This record gives sequence, structure tokens and C-alpha cells, in this order.
Amino acid sequence: MAEDKEREEGQERPSRPSTAASRRERRGTARPAAAASTGKDVDPKTERVKAVRPAGKTDAADAKDKKGRATPSRERKAEKVSFFARIARFLREVVSELRKVIWPTRKQLITYTAVVLVFVAFMVALVSGLDLLLGKGVFWLFG
Amino acid sequence: MLSAFRSALATPDLRRKILFTLMIIAIYRVGATIPSPGVSYPNVKRCLENVDDQGVVQLLNLFSGGALLQLSVFALGIMPYITASIIIQLLTVVIPRFEQLKKEGQSGQGKLTQFTRYLTIALAILQATGIVAMADRGQLFGNCQDPIIPNSNIFTLIVIVVTMTAGTAIIMWFGELITERGIGNGMSLLMFINIAARIPAEGAAILDKGGVTFAVVCVFALLIIASVVFVEQGQRRIPVQYAKRMIGRRMYGGTSTYLPLKVNQAGVIPVIFASSLLYLPDLISRLVGADGAGWQNFIANYIVKQDSWVHISVYFLLIIFFTYFYITITFNVNERADEMKKFGGFIPGIRPGRPTSEYLQFVLSRITLPGSLYLGIIAVLPNFFLEVTDSGQNQNFPFGGTAVLIMVGVGLDTVKQIESQLMQRNYEGFLK
Repeated sequence: MAEDKEREEGQERPSRPSTAASRRERRGTARPAAAASTGKDVDPKTERVKAVRPAGKTDAADAKDKKGRATPSRERKAEKVSFFARIARFLREVVSELRKVIWPTRKQLITYTAVVLVFVAFMVALVSGLDLLLGKGVFWLFG
Repeated sequence: MLSAFRSALATPDLRRKILFTLMIIAIYRVGATIPSPGVSYPNVKRCLENVDDQGVVQLLNLFSGGALLQLSVFALGIMPYITASIIIQLLTVVIPRFEQLKKEGQSGQGKLTQFTRYLTIALAILQATGIVAMADRGQLFGNCQDPIIPNSNIFTLIVIVVTMTAGTAIIMWFGELITERGIGNGMSLLMFINIAARIPAEGAAILDKGGVTFAVVCVFALLIIASVVFVEQGQRRIPVQYAKRMIGRRMYGGTSTYLPLKVNQAGVIPVIFASSLLYLPDLISRLVGADGAGWQNFIANYIVKQDSWVHISVYFLLIIFFTYFYITITFNVNERADEMKKFGGFIPGIRPGRPTSEYLQFVLSRITLPGSLYLGIIAVLPNFFLEVTDSGQNQNFPFGGTAVLIMVGVGLDTVKQIESQLMQRNYEGFLK
């Protein structure tokens, strides 16, 4: 936590560009300079780059931190729940999901069953017909 | 429905696909009847009549469409290919290199397919050797005196093993051809054919027990089929809203659709996985040879015997495990969420990106539990009805369990594929 605070303070200190456009401009100028030049003046510039870059994200970081602070108590509560209670909860969720399932209507069920039966009957007839013929052929050939 | 059949055959493209599939099936059956070189066909025929062997060989026989006990060219059926693809898919979780390959997309997937094929050949050699050894020792058909391989020198045996392995390679090719150029998923369609080939014989066997039994079995089978259809059709529809977009002067999108999650998203694959995994211990113990060791007795008494509670519960648990496993592999929630985000879609009330994928995961894991339980129950169900069929014949019993799941699953899949092809041409389909 202490480190976080320090970082936040550090982020507040340098004068931040207020608009996105100006921020982009600053970054655009700062980076090549830092990469190209060597020697004394590198240090402060890279310092500034480091300071500026997270600064752009502070809004998101703030939101995250807020969330991080709010949630722990809830998470701790969840951990305390016993194994059986968790199973019970899981089962309850299973039931609630099952309620949301769309089952086939009676008509659909009958159609699908009929289609499957016809398909299976056709295949069985085809295969057994083939087998009968082939069996006779093989018997004639080898038997 | 008849008009749909006619229009299916009237469409040239679809007709070619259907006829191609039927042709492959016909060739497949030819291979399944031709005996391997060196096998005495009359002796096999005589032995088949008084076969009373129980358990896993029967199951294998079911999956190979009766070709196994005939020692035909295609004796091994599609099983080695299925086992190999299971193993490779399992390995993608374990071995990082495989995982990388899987993520690589097209080329990596090609590499994995290559591995699967090599593994198939290896498994086929192993299994063919086992079966030939058993046939040579006369163990294949319980107590049959006639020599199945009359001239059993080492050369003949090697020729049989090579023939069967080559047969498996051809079956593998057939399966891929059907998937590519025909209708339906080749692997499961060939499996379906194997089961369909056994139905007349099994039906006749049940009819022998009396008309009442047969009627009861038929009603029971119809009920199971209807319930399987019912669950297969159950969908959890997750609403997806697409954002409106302006491209030029026109407005696109802004539609609301749904993402269908089936209750049984995994299909029949987990059942096939589980049953093929369960026969491995028996295969190993048979390959080692019966020297009456303790572990072999354990396998024979608990894992092979289908009415033992160990077998039933292991089978059930394996199915549940594989259902979850297979769904994790095939339905990548992160990918779905990303896709949705890319095309400007979102689930109302849930942010795009990670929250969406978490929500999908949540729903999927909840909806899969009943799905996997249903798969397990349907697959295990016939084991409780040993009185209706002969004991040991229950897995073989094509109106219950694994076989029905495969039949209905493949049937629905294939018909739906034909249907969608018809829809492309604005014909009225089978399913109104």
C-alpha cells in the first residue's frame, strides 16, 4: 500500500498535460530524444518519460485501486464458505441455468425422433443388405 | 419429409456428397467381410456360431461391426484412430510442445493430425498383433477346436498383422474423406455403420427370447431414443447483441442473436473415449497372456465384467470427466469472447472481453453438469437390465447405452448437415 501511495504522489508532481493531444505531443518529442542522445542529459529526460507515461493511465489506475479496495471484504467472505455450501451453491446455479434452457417442443421432438428413426432404419437396411450380398459372395469365394 | 428427400437428391452438389458417402460405406463393408489372408473362412464361420465369449471382445466386435471376430481385412475398424486421437488430445494438455502446436493454427494442427496418424498405425500394429496372437492360440472364440489360422507359421501371422494395419490406415483415410467431401463426420459415421451392422443380428437374438420381450425392448429403445433427442436438442441460448455500425452511408449490424450452448455440448465423443479407455486394461492383460496374476484377475472380475459396480462407476466417472475435458478442448471461451468483441457483439449486461469469457465459462460449466450426468446415465443404463439381454451382452445390446447415443447423435448430426445444405438452396428441409 505504501508503495502505491508513493507512486501516486510521484505521478501527481510533474505538471501533467491536460489534454490527450498535448500528452501525445509530449511523448512524441520525449521518446526519440531519449533514445538518440547519450550522456548527461539522458537521465532527467528518461525520468520525465517514466513519470509521464504512467500519468496518462492514472484514471484507469485510480479506478482499479478503488475497486481493489472495495472488493477484498467480499472475497474474504467467499473464502469462508465451506465445501458443502459451495457445492450447494453450484447445484443451485445449475438448476437456475437449467431453467433457462430452451427444450424442444412436443412437435419438434416427434419430428426429430422420426427423422432419426428413418435415418437409422435406412442405414441399417442398407448395411444389412450389403452385408447379406457380400456374405454370400465371400462364402461362394472362400467357403 | 419425402419431398425433402427428393429435393436432397435433386440438388446436384448434395447428391454427389450423399452418393460419395454411401459409396465409401459400401467399400467399407466390402473390406469388413473379406477375410484376411491365411485365415480359414469356413472355420471362422463354424466358430462364430457357438461363440460365447463375454466382455470386451464383444464390445470391440460391436465397434468393428462384426468384422473383428471374422478376422477380416478391416477387423480393427475405426477404433485405433479414435484411441489415437483421444491420446493426442490428452497429450495437448500435458505436453507443452503439443499445446504450442495446437495454438499455432493451421500448420500446427496439421502436425498434430500427422502425429495422430502415426499413433494410429502404431496402435493398429499393437492391436492386430494381440488379436492374431489370440486367434492363433485359439483364445478368440472361447472354446473352439477348429484352427482359425491353419498354416500358422510366423510369415502368415506377419502378413495378417500387416494386412489389418493397412486396413486400419485405409479406414482412417475413408473417415477423413467422408468428413472432407461427404456428409457428416467421417469418424463417427463409420462408427455408426459398425453399430448399424450389428442391429439385425442382435434384434433377431432378442426376438428369439419371445415376442413380449421384443416389444418391451422396442418400447424401451424408443423411449431412450426420444429422451436422447430431447436432451440433444436442449439449448441454453445466451443473447448476443451486435452494435450498429456505419460503413459509408449504410447502417450495418444492430441485430440481436443468441449463442446456443447445448446441454450436451460434447456430443457422443466422451462416451466413445470412456469406453475405448476402459477396454485398454483388458487388451493389455490379454496381450501379456493369462498367467493368473492378481491384477489380471482384478481386471477380469471388476473392469471387464459389465455388471460389476466397479465397471459401472468407473465408466460413469470417466464419462463425466471426459465431457468436461472435451468441452474445455473444443469450446474455447476466450476465443469466443474475443470473436464477439471483434465483431462488435456483447452479451447484454456483461462487458466484452474477459468478463464475457468468464460468464461463458460460468454458464458452460453449470450447464455441462446435467449434460454429463445424462450421458453417463444413458451409457450405464443397459448395465442394469441384464435380465432382458444376456449377461455380458448388454454393451453389445444396440438399443441401449453407448450404441443409442452414437446412433442418435450421428443421425441428428448428419441429417442436420444435409438440412443446412438444403437451406442454402432455399429448399424446405426435413425438420420443419
